[in-house]
Formats: sequence, C-alpha cells, structure tokens
Amino acid sequence: MGIRFVLMVNKQGQTRLAQYYEYLNVEERRALEGEIVRKCLTRTQQQCSFVEHRNYKVVYRRYASLFFLVGVDNEENELAILEFIHLLVETMDRHFGNVCELDIMFHLEKAHFMLEEMVMNGCIIETSKTNILSQIQLMERAS
Amino acid sequence: MGSQGGFGQSKEFLDLIKSIGEARSKAEEDRIVLREIETLKARLSDPNTPKFKLKEYLIRLLYVEMLGHDASFGYIHAVKMTHDDNLLLKRTGYLTVTLFLNEDHDLIILIVNTIQKDLKSDNYLVVCAALNAVCRLINEETIPAVLPQVVELLGHQKEAVRKKAVMALHRFSQRSPGSVSHLLSNFRKRLCDNDPGVMGATLCPLFDLITLDVDKYKDLVVSFVNILKQVAERRLPKSYDYHQMPAPFIQIKLLKILAVLGSGDKKASEQMYTILGDIMRKGDSTSNIGNAILYECICCVSSLHPNAKLLEAAADAISKFLKSDSHNLKYLGIAALSRLIKISPDIAEQHQLAVIDCLEDPDDTLKRKTFELLYKMTKSSNVEVIVDRMIEYMISISDNHYKTEIASRCVELAEQFAPSNQWFIQTMNKVFEHAGDLVNAKVAHNLMRLIAEGFGEDDDTADSQLRSSAVESYLRIMGEPKLPSAFLQVICWVLGEYGTADGKYSASYITGKLCDVAEAHSADDTVKAYAVTALLKIYSFEIAAGRTVDILSECQSLIEELLASNSTDLQQRAYELQAILNVDAHAVEKIMPINSTCDDIEIDKNLAFLDGYVQQSLENGAEPYIPESERSGMLSISSFMTHEDHEPSTHTLRFEAYELPKPSLPPNAPPSSTELVPVTELSYVADIFQPTTSLPSASDSAASELKLRLDGVQKKWGRAHLLLPCPTHHFKQRHCEDSK
Repeated sequence: MGIRFVLMVNKQGQTRLAQYYEYLNVEERRALEGEIVRKCLTRTQQQCSFVEHRNYKVVYRRYASLFFLVGVDNEENELAILEFIHLLVETMDRHFGNVCELDIMFHLEKAHFMLEEMVMNGCIIETSKTNILSQIQLMERAS
Repeated sequence: MGSQGGFGQSKEFLDLIKSIGEARSKAEEDRIVLREIETLKARLSDPNTPKFKLKEYLIRLLYVEMLGHDASFGYIHAVKMTHDDNLLLKRTGYLTVTLFLNEDHDLIILIVNTIQKDLKSDNYLVVCAALNAVCRLINEETIPAVLPQVVELLGHQKEAVRKKAVMALHRFSQRSPGSVSHLLSNFRKRLCDNDPGVMGATLCPLFDLITLDVDKYKDLVVSFVNILKQVAERRLPKSYDYHQMPAPFIQIKLLKILAVLGSGDKKASEQMYTILGDIMRKGDSTSNIGNAILYECICCVSSLHPNAKLLEAAADAISKFLKSDSHNLKYLGIAALSRLIKISPDIAEQHQLAVIDCLEDPDDTLKRKTFELLYKMTKSSNVEVIVDRMIEYMISISDNHYKTEIASRCVELAEQFAPSNQWFIQTMNKVFEHAGDLVNAKVAHNLMRLIAEGFGEDDDTADSQLRSSAVESYLRIMGEPKLPSAFLQVICWVLGEYGTADGKYSASYITGKLCDVAEAHSADDTVKAYAVTALLKIYSFEIAAGRTVDILSECQSLIEELLASNSTDLQQRAYELQAILNVDAHAVEKIMPINSTCDDIEIDKNLAFLDGYVQQSLENGAEPYIPESERSGMLSISSFMTHEDHEPSTHTLRFEAYELPKPSLPPNAPPSSTELVPVTELSYVADIFQPTTSLPSASDSAASELKLRLDGVQKKWGRAHLLLPCPTHHFKQRHCEDSK
C-alpha cells in the first residue's frame, strides 16, 4: 500500500534526503528526482499540491528552500499525505527546534531515523510524535 | 539550534556540507563530490579508523550517492558497522545498509546473521533496529532464517517491538505469501492489542489481506466499526492527536478498510452507516486533515450500499470543496464527484458550473482530474461537447504517455456514444491527425472496418455518402505536413477502396495524390505499401470498368522504384500491380472485386486447385514430392530439432570431470622424415616420457599406454646427439669466433 518514496530536495535540485520503498538504482533516482523537482518548480503557490507523474502521483510541499516530495499510489488520500508531510516536519521541528535545511544536512541519520519510525513497508505506521521521538531520544542516551 | 556540531562532527564534514550547499553549478558540485570520493576511499581503507569517525564517513558516503555518484566501494563498511555493539553505530550501520543495498544484493548474506543475532538481543532497541532492517532487506530466500524469531517477537513485552514485528510479518506476506499463510491469525490478534500503535500498524497488513479475500474478513466488520468509534470519541492517548483531530491517519485507514468490506454487501454496509454519519457530521472542514477525513468518508460512502442520508451529506461536503478557493479542495471535490457518479449520476449536473471552471483552470493537475470526471460522465447527450473538449486538450499535451491515455479515452467514448457516423469519422480524423501514432493500431483497423461495413445498416445510400465524405475530407487533409503514419495508412486505404467510387474524382487525380503521399514519406515503408496497393485497386477498378488505364509518369517511377526495393513486401506489391495491368477485365474483376473488403477469402490449404497441374507434370516425367520426414541421408532441420530436445532443458554447470582422452593408435604410414636417428638406442628418452602406471583404455592395441606421440619427431636432444655434427654447430663456432 501507499508510499513509494520520500524525498527532500532543494530548489537547485540537490537531494538532501532520499528514502525509496521500491528499489531504484542511482541513475534512476537521479533522473526521477530531477524530473519531479522541475515539475514542481513550474507550479504556482495557488495550484494543487499534487502532481501526476508516470503512473502514480507525487504530493509535494515546499518549506522555504526545501521541497518535500512523497510519491504515492493512485489510491492514496492526497490530502492526508500532504498532512503527513507536515507531521514529519513538525516532528523534526520538535526535535531540532526550528528545523531548517541545514539541520537535516548535519543530522541526516537522525532525520532518517525519524522517518524509519513513521513509515515501514511504504505504510504510515506511527503518527504520535511522542512515540517517534522517544526512540531517538533513548538511542541518544544509550550511546 | 542544531545547525552546528553535535556528536563531534569534524571540520571536514562541516566543510563538505557547506561546499555542497554553496555549489553554484552541477560541474562544481561534481568536482566536490569526486574529491570527497577520493578522500573517503583513502580513509575507509585505513584499518585504524576510530568507529565514530567511520560513522561519519558512512554518512558522507550517503551524500555522495544522493548527489548521483556511485559509492559501492564503501558498502562493505556499512555492513561491518552493523556488527557494532554501540546502539547508535549499529543503527547507523543498518540505516546505511538499507539505503545502499537492496534485497537482492550479494552483500545481504553477510547481514542475515547479524540480524538473527540482534533479533534475540536483550536490548529491545537493538531488536527494533534489526526489525527495521528486516523490513527492507529480507527477501523470499532469507525469510526462513528470521521467520521464527519474528513470530516470537509478536508477543514481546515492548509495544515498539510488537509494532515492528507486525510490519516484518507484513513484508513476508508481500514477498512470499505462502511462507506465512498459516500465520495470518497473528494479524487478527494484534488488531486487539492494548497498544494503539500496534493496532494502527496492523491495519496495514489487514487492508492488503482484506483486499485479496474479502469474505474471509467480513466477521471483522463489527470490530473495525468499534475501533473507529473509539478513535472518533477520543479514547486514544492525546499523543495521537494531530491538529485537534484524534488519530486522523488511523481513522483514514479504518475508513479505507470499511469501504472494501462494505462494497456490494448491504448487511455489512448497514453496520457502518451510523459511525460514518457521525464522523461526517462532526467533521472539521476548516483544517486540511479534517477535510482529508471528510474526503475519505465520501470515498467510503461511494462504495457502500447506497444510503440517502449519507449521500446527501456527501453531496454537501462536495459542494463546499468545489466552492473553496483552495485548489487542493477543488481537486478533492472533483475526485469525489468521480466516485459518486456511479451511485448517483445526477450529482455532477448540480455542479456543472464548478466543473467547467476547473476544466478551464490553468492548473494542469486539476484539469486532468476534471477530464477523468468527464470521461465517467459521458453519455450520448453530451458526448460531442465532451469529446471535442478532450481533443482540444489532447492537442495541447506534450507528454506522450498522457497524450496516449487521453487519445484512447476519446476513441473509446467516440466508439461508444457517437451520435452520427459523420461526427464519428470527423472525430477519429482529428484524433488520428494529432495522435495517430500513439493510439493502438487496432483503432485504425476499426475505423477502416467501420467505413467498409457501413455501420451495419443496409442503407447503401447512407454508406456511400459516408464514404464520399470520408474521401473528401482525406483529400483535403493529406497534403498537410507531419501526418502520423497510422493516419496516412487509413487515408491510402480509403482512397484506394472508395476514391473513384462516386465518380467525382478521376483515377488520375486520385493516383496522383497517392503518389504524392508515397513520395513525401519515402522513408515509411508501410505507408508506401498502402499507397501502392491503393494504386493497384484503382487500376483494377478502371480495367474492370472497361476504361483504359492512364498511368501517370510519377506513378510509373514509383512502381519502378518499388520493383527494385529492398523490402520484399514492397517488391511483391509492385510486381502484382504490374501483373494486374496485363490482365483482362474479366480476370481483374475476380482478383480485385469492388467493395469486397468484408468478403471472406476462402483458403484451401491443400491447394486442391493445383492437382491438375501436378498430375500433368508427373505424367511428363517430373519427380514426385518427398516429404521432409522421409528424406534420408541429409541433415534436415527436423533432426536438429530432435537433437536439441534430447539435451537437458536446464543448463547447469558440469561437475564431472571430462573423460581422459583416448590413447591414439600408432600411425600406419612410415615416418616421412629421412633425417631421423633410429630410436632404439635412446632408451632413456622412452623412460622419461612413459608413465609409470598404465591407464585403462578402450582399445586393445599395442600402444595402449598413454604417451606422447613421438613418431615422426626428430629426436635430437638425446645424449647421443651431443657428439653428432648438426647445423647449429656451425653457428656455435662462429659465435665463439666472434667472442674472441
């Protein structure tokens, strides 16, 4: 069910985080990421946050210089995925405090750990910020 | 503020991040990355690197790959890091492994052992890390290695572990359904887990299973409705709230499940009406997530057995969506309309104006969604308007994949709802003109068939009128540049069959036009083939009608060009055309009858009509035909085939040693060289080369032992030769002289 990939790409097309739930090799990823960002860049603020791409959809949301892009199957609830992106940002925000692109760059593995808690097998399985972050905090304390 | 340092990142790392962030061009970025790759290669090969440094290098490797470069030289280090006891390092190891590798990678074998160990760890965080890895890296082959442990973990005391174990089992059922078919009851058990996180996670595998086999899970309808009720009544911990909505993502999953369970089932649907009504009534339409839930409710309602009150509530919600300024909500409104159309077809008409607005909006996503809706709304009363709009849109699309989709939809709607033949042909022409090479070839053939059959009516006048108008419009269009090949084929065919049928155009005119087409598309063999066959038909009809055929010079050169063509198909057609020109009217009528596209051609596989000819030839002394199977002494293709059948069907490596070569028989002919020294004295030579053990051999000849074939070989290296004069002796003398 559901999510094919989660990407964070800046508007220059540099990928800051890439998590694929269906395997693509390095060249395929590069091509995909470039294509999608270009598509999203041509759209205005007023237009839909959803774009059809190949035989699936991409839900995107822009926060300052960073695009959050989630590729989903056609049966997914687009607005719910849009809010999932926001939940992810809110979670990172709670951990890093006023999260920005640099936080993700300097703490890439943390961002990944959070996403790992939230999505497994392409399905959203954890949406409680407390539960998500407790895993991270426990790990930090244990190390 | 987490922008700097933390966890001892080196200056090098900070510099890397900064320079990547500040790179102004792809070329600059590539230079930075390539330099980084060299640095990392050196660092990683140093065995004394401290572990936390290694972690940093792995993260840097991640960056390298995210920017599009290959980092496979470092994969093994990620694997090694999973062995570490420190939780953070171990988890980073697992993370990088899952990001670098995929389940079919060779290195996975090295990880399975670690995963197995970690799944048994006392530290539940380690178990969790291993379960994360299981969900990314375990494939069909490695499932048995971890399955028993995972099943045990379903009952672990920590909810985080149970949650992830459920997802691990989910993955197994996706990769290899057979391996877990006896374990599916575990999902039912976890649905009743005390922890809402575990319950929420279980909804995912359950959804998949229910979709595959609805009837098996109908008994759970009551449970799902109950859970949804509890969630909506805020009985879950507050931490699951999001923007004041209680566990919205779980609600949405439950709604999806209920939609599947209630579809086509009145009884099941009835159990869901109350909770659906409640949720829709209490729904919050001011927040995105509230609207997301409302939308999911509408989707659920549209698949359940119809309920008037719910449908009314759905229609209200849709109105609000469409009236909203937000494009996202408009999009949802259109999508919801598409779903409801099946149950209440009139609903779209209430919102016609809003729908048209969306159609004209420059937002491509919204437009596409609206066209999907229109496609579902089409009936014979509105097909003309809708298809015309769709074609207009299709022309503006540049993405071929999507253009094909829309073109196929247009064709489908035209074929299904066309109000008149005239309109149908015009529409098909437009589709062909702009997307001819994208639509299925079948569409072109359907069109030709329809023109030939005349829509099944027995009204000949109408049929011929239709064909005349087809001819008319094609003559007009065919001069245009860049027509798709499929379209040109149809045009040639129509002109060939019907170009001269109504007498309006002379054969010269039509044939001239056909030659123009063939010339303009000289690289397209298929179009040329259609053109020359069309010429053949026209000439045939002229001959059959008793008129003399006047071949234009350009037609003559076309024919001559095709007679010498590389394509045998084109050659054949050209020769057939030539042959027809020399046949009398009566025969031509039989070969190429007018208007007989729909007549069946009878095929006689035995070629019985040639029997007389064969008989006559045999009487004149010709050899009778021998079937292939009776021919002897020749390698025929059939024997090759049977030979191949005898070989094993699987190509495997051969593990048995090859047989030793058979010993050779001594040659019968005497040695030809006359410079041989007799062999007998040099017995020691024979000693060196003869093996001490005798080897088994099939033949019982005298030379049954394996030895080198020394017959005919000059034996000049024996002791005896050292004293004999030989040609080299002179050389040695000379050499000695030089060195003096």
